[in-house]
Amino acid sequence: MSFAQPSLMPSFTRPPSRVAIVRSARYDLDLGAVLFRALKEFDLPVKGFKVLLKPNFVESDPEGVINTHPAVVGAVRETFLRLGAESVRVAEGPAHERDMEAILETIRLRNFLGPLPGLFVDLNLDEVHAVNLRTRASKLKQLYLPRTVLEADYIVSLPKLKTHHWAGVTLSLKNMFGIVPGCCYGWPKNVLHWAGITPSLLDINSTVRPDFAIVDGIIGMEGNGPIQGSPKPSGVLILGDDPVAVDATCARVMGLAPERIDYLAKAGMLLGHLKPEKIRQLGECVASVRTPFAVLPAFQRLVAAKGK
Amino acid sequence: MQVADSTPGSDRQIQNPNAEPRFASPESRVPNPVSRARMTSGQLRDSHCLEFLITNQNSDGGWGYHPASLSAVEATAWGLAALISSRRAPPPAEVCARARDWLLQAQQTDGSWPPFPGQPQGCWVTSIASQALHLHGGAQNAVQRGLHWLLNAWPAEGTVWWRLRQTLFPSRVARQDSSLRGWNWTPGTASWVEPTAHALLFLRSLPMEILPPQAAKRRQLAECMLFDRMCPGGGWNSGNPLVYGVAGVPRIGPTAWALLALRNHSERPEIQTSLGWLEGTYGAIHGAASLALAHRCLTAYGRRVSPLAPALGELYSPNHFFDSMLTNAWIVLALNEEGSAVVPTAGEAANR
Repeated sequence: MSFAQPSLMPSFTRPPSRVAIVRSARYDLDLGAVLFRALKEFDLPVKGFKVLLKPNFVESDPEGVINTHPAVVGAVRETFLRLGAESVRVAEGPAHERDMEAILETIRLRNFLGPLPGLFVDLNLDEVHAVNLRTRASKLKQLYLPRTVLEADYIVSLPKLKTHHWAGVTLSLKNMFGIVPGCCYGWPKNVLHWAGITPSLLDINSTVRPDFAIVDGIIGMEGNGPIQGSPKPSGVLILGDDPVAVDATCARVMGLAPERIDYLAKAGMLLGHLKPEKIRQLGECVASVRTPFAVLPAFQRLVAAKGK
Repeated sequence: MQVADSTPGSDRQIQNPNAEPRFASPESRVPNPVSRARMTSGQLRDSHCLEFLITNQNSDGGWGYHPASLSAVEATAWGLAALISSRRAPPPAEVCARARDWLLQAQQTDGSWPPFPGQPQGCWVTSIASQALHLHGGAQNAVQRGLHWLLNAWPAEGTVWWRLRQTLFPSRVARQDSSLRGWNWTPGTASWVEPTAHALLFLRSLPMEILPPQAAKRRQLAECMLFDRMCPGGGWNSGNPLVYGVAGVPRIGPTAWALLALRNHSERPEIQTSLGWLEGTYGAIHGAASLALAHRCLTAYGRRVSPLAPALGELYSPNHFFDSMLTNAWIVLALNEEGSAVVPTAGEAANR
C-alpha cells in the first residue's frame, strides 16, 4: 500500500498560501452555494479524486456547539461532488466517545448527508497500517493509521472554530488527532498526550497533512473549549489550501496571536505559512470579521495586541 | 492528501516494519456479501444479532470490527463472549472453537494481546481476550499467561519520577491522585477508566485460588482509582473528571463499564449517584451500543429499565448499527441478561 505524503519545506521556499473568509450568519442558509463560489476561486484539482472529509465530531451534543455543524459537512460534500470528485466520504475518530452512532444520531447527520452506512467511516475502528512518521518532533516515530485515510486522494480538514483548554485553540491541524485510531490507542488517545500535544501534532500533520481546510466558524466556541466552552457566533467560514495559514487566520479572527500558539508557531516553520504577508487573503479581510474570543486565564498570553 | 512531493522514488511507500499481520490475507475474510441482522416485527432479538455474528465470522475464526475486515482481538473476544452467553440459542460449538483458536494464536509470547495480530505491543485488549477465553474454558494456560501479563503491567503515572515531578510542578489544570493506579490503554501511558474496568471485570471472573497474592492489591488500588476519577456529579468519562475546576461530563460507556466493575461496592453513595445519572440518561440514548451497555449495567444492579428489544428495533432502522460487530455482540450480552437477576460468578462470590 502506498500513499502520497506532503512535502516538507521551510516556509521561505513555499509559494504564498491562499485563505478565503466568507460570511454566513446561519446554518440554514444555502451554504452549498456559498462554498461553491468560494472554492471555485481555488481551482482545486479534485476531479476524479476520492475525497475524504474529516469533521470534528467530539461528543453527542444536540446543541450544535461542540461539533462541526452537519449542515457544513453536507454543504462541503455537495460542493466537492459538484467540483468533480469521484466520491466524497466522511470519516472521524472521536477521542472521548466510542459510540459513533450515538454522536451521528444526536447531531442528525443523515438529515444532511442521506443514508450514512457506506458513506461514513468510524476511524477508531477502521483497519490500520503502520506508518513511519516523517518528522521526529515527538518520540512516536511510527503510528498505526486508518486505511481509509491512507487511501484517500484528497483530505479536507473540517474543524470547528474553538478554544482548547490544553492547546489554546483547536482548528484544522489539531483536528487531525482524530485520525489516530482508538482501537489501537484507546479513548482518549493518551499516547499523543504522553508524546506531547505539540510534537505529536507536528508529526501527524507532517505525515498526513490535509490538502484543504474549511473551518466552521458560523458559531464557534470560546472559553473552556473544546467541550465546555460557550457558544460564540462569529458568522464566518474560513477556508484555504494551507492548514497552517487557515489556522493562523482563524486565530487572528479570534483575536489571538498565532505566533504565540505553540504548535502553530512550530508548524509555521515547516508545514505552511503563518505570516500574513505570505497569505493571499480572499473574500473578507480579517479586520472586518474579527470577533475576539474569551480565553481561559492560562491562555491570556495568546491574546493579540489591539489592532493586530 | 497533499501530493506536493513528485520526486520519483521518494518516501511515498508506507514502511511497515511488522510486515503483514499473521492473519491479514484477504482470503481469511468473509467471502460473502455483508449479512445483516434481520429484524422482524420491529423488535430486535438476540437471534438476529447472533446470526449476524455467526455469518460474518472470518474464515480464520476471528471477527473484524466490521464484516469482511481484518480480524481484531477486541472484536473477536466480544464475539466469542456473546456466543457463549447465548442461552436460548446456543451457537454451533465449532464457531466458538474457531474463535478460541484464533485468540490463542494471536496471543503474544509474553501473554498479552495486541489490537491486531502482527502488532508488537500487548495492550488493553488483553483483559477482554483473557476473559473470553476463561468463559469459553479449556484454555487456562493462555488465561494464566494473560493474567500474569496484566498483573505486571503498570501505567506510566505513579512512578517515583512521575510523583516527584507532580510534587514539584503540580498540574493547575486537572486534579487527580496519581498514586492510585489502574490499567492503561497502551504501555507507557496513564491509567484510564475503561481499561481499568475491563481488567477488574476479568479479575473478578476468576476463581480466588488461581489469583496470585498481588492480585488483591492491584484490585484494591484500581477500585480506588476508579472512585477517584468519578465525575463530581456521578458517572465517568474518557477525559478528566475535573478540568480548571469545572466538572467533567459523564458518558454512557465509561460509566457503564466502571459500574459493572465496581458491583461489589453497590452500597457506596458514589455508585448510587452514578446509577442515578445513568438511569436519568437512559431514555435519551441514541446509539445501540450505548443502550445495550447501559441496559446491561442497570440490569446488573437490579434496576428496572424498559425492555431493550423495542428500543433497539427503532435504532436499527436508519443505520443497521453500522454493521458493527461490537454493537451486535454487546446487544447479545444485554438481551441474554435481561430479566434475569445477575448472579455473581463463583469467582466473584469468592472474591467478595
